[in-house]
Amino acid sequence: MTSKFSVIGQRVHNIDGTEKVTGSAKYTFDVVLPNMLYGKILRSPHPHAKILKIDTRQAKKLIGVKAVVTGKDTLGRKQGIWRRFPELCDEEILCRAKTRYIGDPVAAVAAIDEDTAEEALDLIEVEYEPLPAVFDPLEAIKEDAPQVHDGVELNININRHIEWGDVDEAFRKCDHIREDQFKCSSQAHVCMETHDAVASFGHNGKLTVWTSTQSSYYIQRLYADMLDMRESDIRVMNRHTGGGFGSKFELDSAQFCAAILSQKLCQPVKIVLTREEEFTATKRRTPMYYFLKLGAKKDGTLLAKEARVITEGGAYTAMGATALYLTGFFSSFPYKFPNYRYDGYRVYTNTEPSSAMRGFGAPQSTFCGESQLDMMAEDLGIDPIELRRKNGMTPDYEVPGQAFIQSCGLHQCLDKIEETIEKRGKLPPNHGIGVASYGFMSGGIFNWFNTPYAFSAAVVRINIDGKADVFTGACDIGQGSNTTLAMICAEELGIKLEDVRVFSGDTGICPPDLGAWGSRQTLMSGNAVKRAAAECKSQIMEFAAAKMGVNIVYDLDIKDGWIHIVNRPERGVSYYDIVKGAIRGKDGVAIMGRGHYTPHRKGMISPAYSFGVQAAEVAVDVETGRYKLVNVTTAHESGTVINPVGIEGQLEGAIMMAGGYGYCEDQPMDEGKILNPSIADYKLIRSLDMPETEILEIDTYEPEGPFGAKEAGEGLTNPTAGAIGNAVYKAVGVRINDLPITPEKVFKALKEKEKKKKAK
Amino acid sequence: MINDFEYFAPKTLKEALALLDKYQDDCKVICGGQSLLVLMRQGLVAPPYMIDIKGIAELSYIKDDKDGLKIGATTTHRAIEKSPVVKKKYPVLAKMETRLASIQTRNWGTIGGNVCHGDPAGDPLPVLIALGATLTMTGSKGKRSMPAENFCLDYFETALEPGELLTEIALPVVPPNTGTAYTKFNVIESDLATVGVAVSVTLGAGDSCQDIRIALGASAPTPIRPKKAEAILKGKKITDALLAQAGETASTEADPISDIYASEEYRRELIKVLVPRLTREAMANAKKA
Repeated sequence: MTSKFSVIGQRVHNIDGTEKVTGSAKYTFDVVLPNMLYGKILRSPHPHAKILKIDTRQAKKLIGVKAVVTGKDTLGRKQGIWRRFPELCDEEILCRAKTRYIGDPVAAVAAIDEDTAEEALDLIEVEYEPLPAVFDPLEAIKEDAPQVHDGVELNININRHIEWGDVDEAFRKCDHIREDQFKCSSQAHVCMETHDAVASFGHNGKLTVWTSTQSSYYIQRLYADMLDMRESDIRVMNRHTGGGFGSKFELDSAQFCAAILSQKLCQPVKIVLTREEEFTATKRRTPMYYFLKLGAKKDGTLLAKEARVITEGGAYTAMGATALYLTGFFSSFPYKFPNYRYDGYRVYTNTEPSSAMRGFGAPQSTFCGESQLDMMAEDLGIDPIELRRKNGMTPDYEVPGQAFIQSCGLHQCLDKIEETIEKRGKLPPNHGIGVASYGFMSGGIFNWFNTPYAFSAAVVRINIDGKADVFTGACDIGQGSNTTLAMICAEELGIKLEDVRVFSGDTGICPPDLGAWGSRQTLMSGNAVKRAAAECKSQIMEFAAAKMGVNIVYDLDIKDGWIHIVNRPERGVSYYDIVKGAIRGKDGVAIMGRGHYTPHRKGMISPAYSFGVQAAEVAVDVETGRYKLVNVTTAHESGTVINPVGIEGQLEGAIMMAGGYGYCEDQPMDEGKILNPSIADYKLIRSLDMPETEILEIDTYEPEGPFGAKEAGEGLTNPTAGAIGNAVYKAVGVRINDLPITPEKVFKALKEKEKKKKAK
Repeated sequence: MINDFEYFAPKTLKEALALLDKYQDDCKVICGGQSLLVLMRQGLVAPPYMIDIKGIAELSYIKDDKDGLKIGATTTHRAIEKSPVVKKKYPVLAKMETRLASIQTRNWGTIGGNVCHGDPAGDPLPVLIALGATLTMTGSKGKRSMPAENFCLDYFETALEPGELLTEIALPVVPPNTGTAYTKFNVIESDLATVGVAVSVTLGAGDSCQDIRIALGASAPTPIRPKKAEAILKGKKITDALLAQAGETASTEADPISDIYASEEYRRELIKVLVPRLTREAMANAKKA
């Protein structure tokens, strides 16, 4: 079949790929400016302490030190990304009176080089009064627990309730009810580029920042709040960014401290967090306690579900409030529960704050929900895929009071996966295949950030040579969004991909865009770019129609730089010639188009949802509990595929990340101290541990997305832990409800099972 | 951050020994640096003088003669892994190397550097112990040798005296009807061992166990030989019951730690499983030999 598209659907390498693989791409890490100083941050060694006194005199005397700042040098404001709710803006960044976790910043130094700055940190004397601390959310909600923030009852930072139908009545009608508990562990982002920033205040009082971020616009706005500046006096640029999985769209300590130091000195200050700081003093995936109740009829109809969740919030709100809401929403996914109730509590603890991380609460809910669903299937004697098929979401389904789902290919995904499993035939002993279904959003509708701007906006400018410049506030963090957006622009204009250049993530020249989080850029930024390109195209067409003198009933289009009559493609003119003429005809003004997108009338969560089903095969060594991921096959639908290479990259990265989440990644702590803050000690799946991966793309079309596209970023992280859990159960009959599913846990469960068998 | 240090790159053993005598405790020997640099980056080691012996050509060799195999201390892991004679005569050594960290590390790191690091979780020592290797140390006053199993004294502490370098690892000729096997248990494929087990078995008449050497890695402050477990098997016709008993015994002879990767209890359980498993594998190799 020939595609109706010229650019979309082509296998395209990232437009910045050559720069990256040759090492010539410049990251914030590489930025060096004249007179630039280097900053370092002093952090609290206590999980909870009063700051009695900070003496910086000795540090200031050290030769090479240019400035030392503490909370007293700030306006004392608190940042928070839930700007509509002041009580949730709770992080000072440079603490004034109290520190709340090991790693909370208390002072920062700027010096002529990193060594001097580090030496100066040792000379700062901080007198602390250690306070009793609390680390586990189940402890923190007790009456007599230490208070992480004054006046917050039972340390409950925020609670969320979602409900539809009559849950209690529905449970009474169920033939079978299961109640299960789960525990979801922490996970570090482990971006290749640690958080970093070069902040430069000019003598004009204006601030310019180069930083590794997922949202230049958020950082600009949060700086404005914290520094009491007008946001247009702040320019934030994300250039190449070495990864972002949810930890890089709030104002962080590198960004804030660099700015405070630069403000004092009117010199650029660079701060690059160390790997240890990255592990201990940024943000991490939210650990959760999950209590699930699921009720079904004998025939497998799921009538009701109740989820109660307590999350380990850590010291500050961060994006945790959103993770709390989304885990509740996605606990119902991707099934048609007629009755559903969720109560979630985010609890402050004296630990590193938890926040957004790829999947945003959904990997947790999917692990727990899909594990329980398999248990339910076994109880009812129904095939797990059949149970999913019976209850799975379908196109044009309304999640009561929450969301409207237009495109949905879940059933095709289930069919494909079933086929694949059948094809694998009889498995060797102690192998098992586990399945998990999932769904995810294509960007959030919620506006707790309180932006008055459109969620996405773009400008396209056509230059005299016919090349198009795209200006977008979207941030390419390595996921390839610049390539995706360039492809969308090229397709819309009917020109070649190499005719498009993208300027992104620079608040000085790009219109605001909420950035790269919640899997939003393909759909939202893509729509904005498509509309901006369409506006350019319509201007070009006016000139083309005039030049060609065609009958008004004819339609014109552009393909491969050829403007032609749709039904008679040989009759046309060169796009490049028309552009030249058009710009001259416009008194020399380049052709410009503007586009924007904000979702409307699409419910409360997201304008579109992707779906998929994953099958993971494991091979278990029953004597040791060690298992290997043999194969992970994913049937995935994300609407029209813009760039297949991009999706493959997302899938492989997701399996590496979510496989690690299911198998081995964790951040064990002792009294709030993270015990594995290095790449050597934090266990990540590496190339040798990667299973075979296969993607089965299911064809769907999302009316709300650009050319029918929707997300393919975070959703892929949701199923793997659940699929692994189910696979281990299928292989050797033990069920682990407590992530990560380590070989030691499997071993202990096998021993327990053996003991029970003997006892019988 | 790595401290500033003065760097020497002697080209001969004699030069290196002179430098060692001169700087004594103030210097650190580096030979690939795949372990040392990690410690230096963490600030745990901060030597004012660094003597890089990797460029000493006379210490980089793999020689096969009638007494066995001699490996120079500065030979890289990758050279051992790829050596045809090692693959043919000591396949367990080549196989161990394929699982030692990553290719990048093996290209740069050396066998001598690894052994002298004295990490009980290192891969080479258990294999060298099982193969009955002898280590030769050289100082300005002369040479001395000792069995590989005596080389480590405690966590990261070896028998090297100040002024001495490990210069050679000698492997005896493998006796007839002998097979050796090594594995490490780890959660991530290219990671350090949670527990490592090497076993060398020489079969006698009727497939009885004429001789056996078992070496455990990451199971005590140093690599150890669980000699009571060996005694259970030595001279006997090996049965599943005896193997299980040997595994049990080895697990009690071990003195593993609990850390964030594995509990002490789990390490002991792994020893119970891996000692019989590797003994079987070694026996199978012996039959093939």
